[in-house]
Amino acid sequence: MSTQPTKTPDADVNSEFTSYYLHRATQEFAEDLDKVRTAEDFKNDALNVLVNALQQGTAMFSPEEQRRVVESRGAGGSKA
Amino acid sequence: MGKRVSRGGDLGGGVWKRQKVTHEAPTSEEITTSRQLQQLLAFDQDATHARHGLQSFKLFLDETLAWRRQNNADNVAILKEYLQAVKPTSEGEDGAQDPEQQQAVYLPDIMQAWAFAYQTSNENLMSAVPVVLALLLKLLSRSLDMVPYGLGICRTLLQKRQLELVSKNLSADKGKAFIVSPTLRMLREAMALDGGAIAKPLFRARASTFKSLARNMGIIHIGDEPEMEDRPSTRTTAIYFFLCALKFLHPEAKRELLSQRDIVAALTRDIKQDPIHLVLEMLSTFRDSILLDDKIPREAKGNLFNVSTLVRISSLYQYRQDPDSTQPSVADAAHEFLLAACTRPSGGILRQDTGLYPRDIDPDAVLPTADIDELGLDAMPWMDKYKSEVPVRNFVLSNLLQNLRPWSSVKQNELVTAIFRVAPELVASFFFENKSFTFEPKLTATWIGYAAFLFNTVLLPIPEHFSRGSGFPQLPPPISVVLGTILPLPLTQKALVRCLTSNSKLVSFFATRILVVAIEKLDAAVKMHHADTHANKALWAEAARRLVDEFCQRIPGMKDMIQAYRSIPEEDALHREAGSRLLRLCYTVIPQVALLAKFDVSPLLDASLGRLAKDEVEDPKDFALGLKELENLLAIAGFSPGMRWFSASDALVGLAPFTVLLRVCIDAPSGIALEEIFRVLGFVAAEQQVVLSRKGHPGLLPLVEALQGLSRDMTAHVWPFLDNCLSRCAAAPVKYLEAVQTLAEEVDGLEADAFISPLIATMLEQLPFVVKAGDKDLLAALGKFLPKFLGLSATVGESKPLLDGVYSKISQVLKEGQAKLTHKRIPDAVAFKHNVWPLRDKATRTTDRPGVGSKNGKEDTAMDAEELEGALSAADGLTADHSALTKWVTKTADEIVDDGHATGLVVLLASEHASIRQEALVNLQKMAAKVRESEYEDKDQVWLLLSELVETARAHNVAAAPLPSPAVAFACHALRVLHDPLSSLYAKVNGFLMRGPVWNLGQLPLVDEILLEDPEVGDSYYAQVNWLLGYLVDALRTPQDLELFHKRRQRGPVLQRLLALAANPYMRLPLRTQLLRLLYKATGIEGGSTTLTTRFGVVNWLEEQEKACLEAKEGGSREPARLYRALRGRVWQTCDRGRVGLWSKGGVEELCQGQEALQPESMDVD
Repeated sequence: MSTQPTKTPDADVNSEFTSYYLHRATQEFAEDLDKVRTAEDFKNDALNVLVNALQQGTAMFSPEEQRRVVESRGAGGSKA
Repeated sequence: MGKRVSRGGDLGGGVWKRQKVTHEAPTSEEITTSRQLQQLLAFDQDATHARHGLQSFKLFLDETLAWRRQNNADNVAILKEYLQAVKPTSEGEDGAQDPEQQQAVYLPDIMQAWAFAYQTSNENLMSAVPVVLALLLKLLSRSLDMVPYGLGICRTLLQKRQLELVSKNLSADKGKAFIVSPTLRMLREAMALDGGAIAKPLFRARASTFKSLARNMGIIHIGDEPEMEDRPSTRTTAIYFFLCALKFLHPEAKRELLSQRDIVAALTRDIKQDPIHLVLEMLSTFRDSILLDDKIPREAKGNLFNVSTLVRISSLYQYRQDPDSTQPSVADAAHEFLLAACTRPSGGILRQDTGLYPRDIDPDAVLPTADIDELGLDAMPWMDKYKSEVPVRNFVLSNLLQNLRPWSSVKQNELVTAIFRVAPELVASFFFENKSFTFEPKLTATWIGYAAFLFNTVLLPIPEHFSRGSGFPQLPPPISVVLGTILPLPLTQKALVRCLTSNSKLVSFFATRILVVAIEKLDAAVKMHHADTHANKALWAEAARRLVDEFCQRIPGMKDMIQAYRSIPEEDALHREAGSRLLRLCYTVIPQVALLAKFDVSPLLDASLGRLAKDEVEDPKDFALGLKELENLLAIAGFSPGMRWFSASDALVGLAPFTVLLRVCIDAPSGIALEEIFRVLGFVAAEQQVVLSRKGHPGLLPLVEALQGLSRDMTAHVWPFLDNCLSRCAAAPVKYLEAVQTLAEEVDGLEADAFISPLIATMLEQLPFVVKAGDKDLLAALGKFLPKFLGLSATVGESKPLLDGVYSKISQVLKEGQAKLTHKRIPDAVAFKHNVWPLRDKATRTTDRPGVGSKNGKEDTAMDAEELEGALSAADGLTADHSALTKWVTKTADEIVDDGHATGLVVLLASEHASIRQEALVNLQKMAAKVRESEYEDKDQVWLLLSELVETARAHNVAAAPLPSPAVAFACHALRVLHDPLSSLYAKVNGFLMRGPVWNLGQLPLVDEILLEDPEVGDSYYAQVNWLLGYLVDALRTPQDLELFHKRRQRGPVLQRLLALAANPYMRLPLRTQLLRLLYKATGIEGGSTTLTTRFGVVNWLEEQEKACLEAKEGGSREPARLYRALRGRVWQTCDRGRVGLWSKGGVEELCQGQEALQPESMDVD
């Protein structure tokens, strides 16, 4: 309903959303991620696999949904 | 085996002993003139001298090759002079090359030395010659004017004598790398010379030039130290020669080369141990010279890119490379190569599959219709065949896949999913064959890799049309195969449940995400099954049902999913979003599973709202994510009949969820998209009649805009008041609608359709209590809020005079509380600043249902059969009561007419029992006489009507058959008219009675008089039409009655003229509804719907009415549109579908199916 600010290009939105998604995931699952890191099979490409596994969830969000999250920048209330 | 003959001198003792090979370093000297060079290389039978010359020449060439261009000019001049001096004389000046000249020998001394080496078994010389020639060719290839000498040398090499030497050199013992390698180098230089000018003849002489190549490729570097780049092994040299050949040979020659199985096998056998530069060169040449060369046939490429080669290349994912190496990564190069090779249709590996149809079935097979009708999916014997294996066309890729470990490496994961994308047939088969791996939860890197791999697999799109064709095949694909791509085999119900209920949040999160994408994929697959273009729609529909059923059996129960969502900690926004998304998808895609579980979404919604309403969210992105979860919950609430939108919740500090939701939206950080939530709010508000749901009215928008115009502090005061008003209004909407009417009555000169929102009436009612409580902050806030709200309400089209009336009342009330409004009267033309008004989008948000997408552009929900019946089913006005035969006897004439005894008796003429009819006839006669003899005011007219009825019944022979309903219904309705002389129809009924003693039963009385003639009494036209329709509804009971309605007449069939009434734009809703009742009744008669459709085109008529209704400017309720649509559905359900389908060529079905399709959904969500 409110007028939208200038739009960011899709690639930027995706990269910013991915970075936010990863940040949130590592925050929410910090404890489990630590356990994985100490698992016996955590070697070679395992770190990449883990990061890739976490961030692939961004595929569940449509570009529009990603934009909505990314562009909600303004801090505080709408009429603060 | 013959006895070995000694070639050397006396070995002493006569006992043969292997000679110790000693490589004496040859002597050399510096070359300064061409003459000196010529002398050095002149053939000499003294091997030492020969080696001395060749070694000096080698050093000379080494030096020349190593120097920079400006410094080696002298050496080049010496060389050129030498070459010119030894150039064969038989070559003509013009350079013409006839066969004879091909026999010209370049460097005859060197060639002679080479031959001499074999005569004397001098291995040092055997090696020294190709060493020198390789260097010489390398040097000559650098200078354009010296290339002809190089070509001459190469042609010399191609002469029979030299070819034999080449062949001997190449097939020297395995241990004689010092002979083999230089020869291969020499051949490589020859192959590459002048852009491959000599490649073709070199290949033609492959019996010699490619001699023992496979064997030589197997002579690998031995030693602990890695192979040095400047001291390549024989294998490395051999492969470089082979790669060089691939670069310069023509496609046909390459095809021939690739058919050499021993060479192809040797090429990659030790690739994992090969040096980096060689591996990179191999991959690059494979790609550029074979994969991308479209002139090489697929089969030839397939000879090289067979399972062994691919598996060996895939082993390069584990290639040991110094992580700090500056060289390109071999694993990356192998990955890029495999990606290209496995997915390129012309690459020789990928074969065209048939999507999700296994190799051995014909998806376009024509099955007998009788079999399909009788057996359904079982008519296809293969439907249940592929439960443990699927035959595939891409067996090479299938084998390669079994050797990959997609869970242990991101790249392999990427490769496998890329292969799945281009060869969808492999998805199900991969998991059928790879059963050892289970998805049992375990917090390890491998499990996470496996989960990621499964996620990617499920995420892959379903092939368009399930196959490669341009349209859907005749038959649906096997369900097990489709399901195998949606929910791969390892994703068993047991494993998924264990994952969801796992103690590890991460495991549960991963399982949730997989389920989300799986349900989305199922949705897509089901939609494809229901595409309009299917030839065997029933078969595809059955397949879709089976698919959904089998899918539902494989996923965790709804309870587990709900429990998993509930157990997610509050602060885990990402996880909560995924969990709520999963539940939402269950409700929308597989409601049959979702609705099985009792799930009260209210507390979760309250909790979600509570989190968002707190001012603690630091990152606006977290807020946006929280909103996404809220949207999901709101959608679920749309399916939840028990959602208590307006009940105060403890979790929400005593406010109702609706108010809190509104508050969340108003207080949301800027830049957050709230359309979805506003849509839900608008829908709920309209449904609860808190705001108006008229077309063109923006529903909640004025309230939202007014709240947005206040500061946050002020809105904080307003919320409890607003919550109270909203809850009251929603609890008793009728009360406040009536209050609005009362207010309207107090204002003079209002337009007929003047309206305001019921919420305003509620606010007006509650204001005195606020004043009484004396909350000054609230009063101040209301002083600012109310003028704005009322002003905005006026802007969107609510009645300004009515709002003025309300405003003055508010003003008075506030004055009593010593508070005041910021404006003396409602401000004019208050503009929307935060929202867009007028709405650009025609679709109003007030009527959209949350969680249910609008279909076919229609925003209303469909009406089900029960609701339709409730709206249109009319009570039968001719219900027989046999007691009427006796009851009237004791009554007076006015009681007989006024209390309905006469009509009760009349109705019995239509009784199905002959005796009753006869008795009724006799009694009517008596009744007529009694009335006539009475003092009843309208006795004559009543007597006349009853007498005419008796005469008509006699003429009809009522003893044989019931009197037709139209006559009976007319008599009953006419009696009521006669009872009321003020009725506008009094004259017309009397006029009809005066016409004759017997009625024409082939006519429907008074139709022409009412529809065509002057109404006589003022503007009673509509009242008369209403009466007519009322009696006609009663008159329509049997197929014979219906005949009267569609019988051809001078002015057209009655029904046609009745339908034409709807063209009158001034005809109001009650009359239109009456007409719909008539049609509804007709649909209940045998053959009624068919006649309506084929004779009167009623389906299109209903469609037109619906459209007109939706487009009507007057707006208001959408009820009529829903009625039209629902009735259309009923027509289709009750007609002879075969006949109507044939008549309309499927058009009617198409129009009505939409209605049918909507019905189950409406039942689910209501």
